[in-house]
Amino acid sequence: MYAIEAFDLHKSFGNVKAVNGVSLKVRKGEICGLLGPNGAGKTTTIRMLTGLLKPDRGYALIMEHDVVKESIKVKKLIGVVPEEANPYPDLSAWDNLIFVGRLYGIPNYEIRKRASDLLKLLDLYTMKDRKAKNLSKGQRQKLLIAMALIGNPKVLFLDEPTSGLDVLSARKIRELILEMKNEGITVFLTTHNIEEAGELCDRVAIIRNGRIVAEGAPNELKIKAGAYTYVTIIFNKPLENCKLDFIKPYEYKVQSSKLLVICSRPAEVVVKIVEYAKKYGLDILDIKISPPSFEEVFVRLATGEV
Amino acid sequence: MKDEYVHMFKAVWAICWKDIKLYYAKGPIVVTGVIFPIFLWMAFYAGKGLELKEGLASLIILTLLFTASSVTPIIAPWETRQRTLEMLLSRPVTVRWVLVGDVLASTIFGIVFVTPIIALGAILNITPANPFLTIVAITFTAVGLSSLGVMFSAIPTDTPADVILLSSLVKLPLMFVSGILVPITRLPSWILPIALLSPITYPADFVRMQYLGSSFLPPYLSLIFTVLFALVFMILALELHEKSIFKRLEKR
Repeated sequence: MYAIEAFDLHKSFGNVKAVNGVSLKVRKGEICGLLGPNGAGKTTTIRMLTGLLKPDRGYALIMEHDVVKESIKVKKLIGVVPEEANPYPDLSAWDNLIFVGRLYGIPNYEIRKRASDLLKLLDLYTMKDRKAKNLSKGQRQKLLIAMALIGNPKVLFLDEPTSGLDVLSARKIRELILEMKNEGITVFLTTHNIEEAGELCDRVAIIRNGRIVAEGAPNELKIKAGAYTYVTIIFNKPLENCKLDFIKPYEYKVQSSKLLVICSRPAEVVVKIVEYAKKYGLDILDIKISPPSFEEVFVRLATGEV
Repeated sequence: MKDEYVHMFKAVWAICWKDIKLYYAKGPIVVTGVIFPIFLWMAFYAGKGLELKEGLASLIILTLLFTASSVTPIIAPWETRQRTLEMLLSRPVTVRWVLVGDVLASTIFGIVFVTPIIALGAILNITPANPFLTIVAITFTAVGLSSLGVMFSAIPTDTPADVILLSSLVKLPLMFVSGILVPITRLPSWILPIALLSPITYPADFVRMQYLGSSFLPPYLSLIFTVLFALVFMILALELHEKSIFKRLEKR
């Protein structure tokens, strides 16, 4: 069973097509990331999936419930942290949580228990009486996540959850996202932090000009994007006078005894280098293989290089 | 089905609680609710030797006008600007529930301010002829004026001043043509058709009848129109917001 299913979603604002036929499926318990450059349609997609915007065409299901036709049922199943949304600035962290808990129709004693647990989990308990406007950006973001979790959601939508946060707050939120996954919650997130997506997500969809252009596990996408691996070999003596014909099909660079090869099949290159070293009596002191960064993969897919 | 209604009532009450805490239980709003009607009333009544009960009927409606419709116009644009509206609508509530919660808070606010005036009248032995129907009329007037405020806020703007301007342009003339300060019978005859179109004419005339024993229109007719206007404004407010809410969110 899929937690999220979108079928041919379209949304235009005036003459601008923000989302142009997005279809995707997210399995239960997965972390799925939606990546794309600014204006690609990420936020519009998430807003349609959470019922904040009506699609012009197409439909979406959350746990098999139609987002538009069964909006209350769907909203009870999901938790949402919208991009740049705010808790009520003049309510305390505690009152914000209690208020949202009441919107889910949860009994008061249970709301209080959940609110306490969530504030402790997110290291906010000591500032529960502080007004939201007096919290730091990271603390406010954590409060928004707590507000999204108070209804015990099955699916959590996070629109740029770590955007603008300091390193420690961002790390705490990433840890929390992984905890949510361990508890069986499906997480759908958009992020600008490409490495974060590669690290957190089981699957990633890349959106460009309102269309999904690639979808799969981060490693699958690396292969799909044909991104390059860097192989660095250090020999026991300089290579200036050595014949390097065998390496010519690849892009390479020599710096004294160091050879850098840029390739898409590193195993093939390493075998050739070992053979070459044996033939010319060279010793290999070190071999380092650096896989392509997910950022490189993203750039290639999002800019249409592939 | 029963669970859905329970959930709806809980959510509406929660929104009402949030509004009271955030918007109504604030010094400036409370002071405005007291100062404006009292001083406006004094400006009209001081030194004119009018009966106290006539003044009491006017003050009740004037207070309702300044309290029940004061905050509802700004909630939607303000929350759009603060980016809390999107957070609110991501929860299991509909736009309608949010607006009903807003109207409920505003109605309570209006009634809370009118209660001491009625109590003061009772202490001075000035009571309405039919207290029950007077309470009904005051409640529906508060609902109608709150809904009128919500109607104004359906303009998909995030600038409260835009809505306040529109609201004042409608509310202030209504105050003068509806027989609140000067009975309709004493107004120039050309105002009469306009007065009959005003939603405040009817509760003002009804409350005047309750305290003075005479009115321009038959009291049952005034009561029916008071209830009708409240319902029409409420339905219009909900419909207009239902249409404009996505536009409001698209703008973010």
